[in-house]
Amino acid sequence: MIPLLAVDLLLMLPALLLLGVVFLLPLLRDAWLSLHASTVVTGLMAVPNGAANWWRLFDDARFRQDAFQTVRFTGVSVALELVLGLGLALLLHRPGRGRALLRALVLLPWALPTTVMALGWRWILNDPHGPLNGLLQAVGLPTFGFLTTPSTTWLAVVVADVWKTTPFVALLLLAGLQSIPVDLVEALQLEGAGRLTILRRLTLPLLAPWIALALLFRIAQSLGVFDLIQVLTGGGPAGSTESLAMYAYRQSLRFLDFGYGATVLMATFLLLLLPGVIWLLLQNRLPRRTA
Amino acid sequence: MSGLQLQQLSRRCGDRLVLEHLDLAVAPGECLALLGPSGCGKTTTLRLVAGLDPCSGGRILLNGEDITARPAGEREVAMVFQSYALFPHLDVGENLALGLRSRGIPRAERDRRIASVLELLQLTALVRRRPAQLSGGQRQRVALARALLRQPRIVLLDEPMSNLDARLREELRPELRRLLCGGEPPVLYVTHDQQEAMGMADRIAVLQAGRLEQVGGVRELYTDPASRFVADFLGRPAINWLPGRDGTALGLRPEHLRPRPEGGLQARPERREWWGHQQLLWLETPRGTLRMLLPEGAEAGAEGLRVGWRAADELWFDAAGQRLSAEGPWRQGLESGAV
Repeated sequence: MIPLLAVDLLLMLPALLLLGVVFLLPLLRDAWLSLHASTVVTGLMAVPNGAANWWRLFDDARFRQDAFQTVRFTGVSVALELVLGLGLALLLHRPGRGRALLRALVLLPWALPTTVMALGWRWILNDPHGPLNGLLQAVGLPTFGFLTTPSTTWLAVVVADVWKTTPFVALLLLAGLQSIPVDLVEALQLEGAGRLTILRRLTLPLLAPWIALALLFRIAQSLGVFDLIQVLTGGGPAGSTESLAMYAYRQSLRFLDFGYGATVLMATFLLLLLPGVIWLLLQNRLPRRTA
Repeated sequence: MSGLQLQQLSRRCGDRLVLEHLDLAVAPGECLALLGPSGCGKTTTLRLVAGLDPCSGGRILLNGEDITARPAGEREVAMVFQSYALFPHLDVGENLALGLRSRGIPRAERDRRIASVLELLQLTALVRRRPAQLSGGQRQRVALARALLRQPRIVLLDEPMSNLDARLREELRPELRRLLCGGEPPVLYVTHDQQEAMGMADRIAVLQAGRLEQVGGVRELYTDPASRFVADFLGRPAINWLPGRDGTALGLRPEHLRPRPEGGLQARPERREWWGHQQLLWLETPRGTLRMLLPEGAEAGAEGLRVGWRAADELWFDAAGQRLSAEGPWRQGLESGAV
């Protein structure tokens, strides 16, 4: 007879092995590499160099700029997605004809591969030939370099990201809305509560765990943003839209500085860990809801 | 006219008539039970009165005033939901306060009313608990407390006890009656449980397929059912049916069958259920299977007996299910059973 704990461990083994191979191993390898020099100069051999990569990171203005840009992109786009997604979810939650069709339509941007939609946006925003500038010209306005103005191009990236991922947030929150029993809303209606009171006192509090979940997903995804920006702006103009993931990619695969690339990646990982930790803390503080 | 009047109330859902020209009146302080199988329209009626669903036709009058078009929030209705509809993110006190707050009642008044209703329902000790931390009976009491806080003009109860076990239901019935009925507002009580309806209500309205079958006092419905459906729906164990002539049917309540030394029908006991104070016999007779209730002491031989009934206890119905008088050609062939 095998002891119960051993059975538990045995049953978990495949999953643990998989996690170990695809998560833990690369992570450890990355941490290890971040303490080595591995460049063209070293013949791409890993040579221990202590904390040299990390000292370089703390002094790297481009890293700081990219960290700021990544956090700014994440903050603004996730906030917009949350507000728009909530509005959309509330709209889709209302009974009415053609709701299923509307739901499918809303989901389309999210179903599109990021590179395809990024190419689409690159053309829409093209200066001067894109449709958006065409519209500006049609009403007699000058064209604008949406993707070539360093101070505002990050906003174009935000717009494209919001366009693509608002449906995801909306769908998640819609599932949350549908989990709220109709009885509760009706009970409050009978008390004479208006729509705003119901939203504030009932819907939003009950939606809080779903909002937290959407935030967690979106923040983690946004902090690691790569493909959208790579295709839309390539990090430009003048590095004004470059993200941390792109910087790590460049260090490793363009400059072939694998040691420093690993360091940037590790720093990005630690940054990503932050929202996860905050979420866990919040979850412990939020009241437990069991049915 | 005081009290609640429903006039020709109808509700259509797409092509389906959920409720058809319902006429009902509930006097102030009267408890009227809406009884029927699921899908009969009883909950629909309640929701129409509450204003949660729009009527497709007809009028709702409260103390002579037409409230058909009035939104739910302005009808001053207290409703106890089958699910209790307690707010899971709020504790008992906050659950009670939320409604009062959204009606703009000042804090001092709010606290006073909540404290008194908590006292009344012995919930004071549970005021900081959330619904998830309460038992079914406690949740029900909180739902009741919320209804009592309202000072409503109508009280509506939608299967308020169907989530409780039988014992608790029996205990709560008098309490529910004491707290909700007999005041000013008329009470509408929806249930599919005839025992609950008989225990709670002054009068019962039996609904079937969106139509009112019969409305009347509890005793009246049982002893003098207007239709075969009502006779069949009320009474446990269910009424026995014997086919008469020309599609008519004779209904005989199990407690009205008696063993006879002679006459009546020849019967053989097939099965016996012992209920403590009574026993239920399943009898095989030439006319089909009959259920007979016997007092605990009575004995029926295993080999066979003869059963009969009093002519006054016969309930006759025509092929369409409408009640027939106790005298008529349809009795031919079965009068032998009556003694």
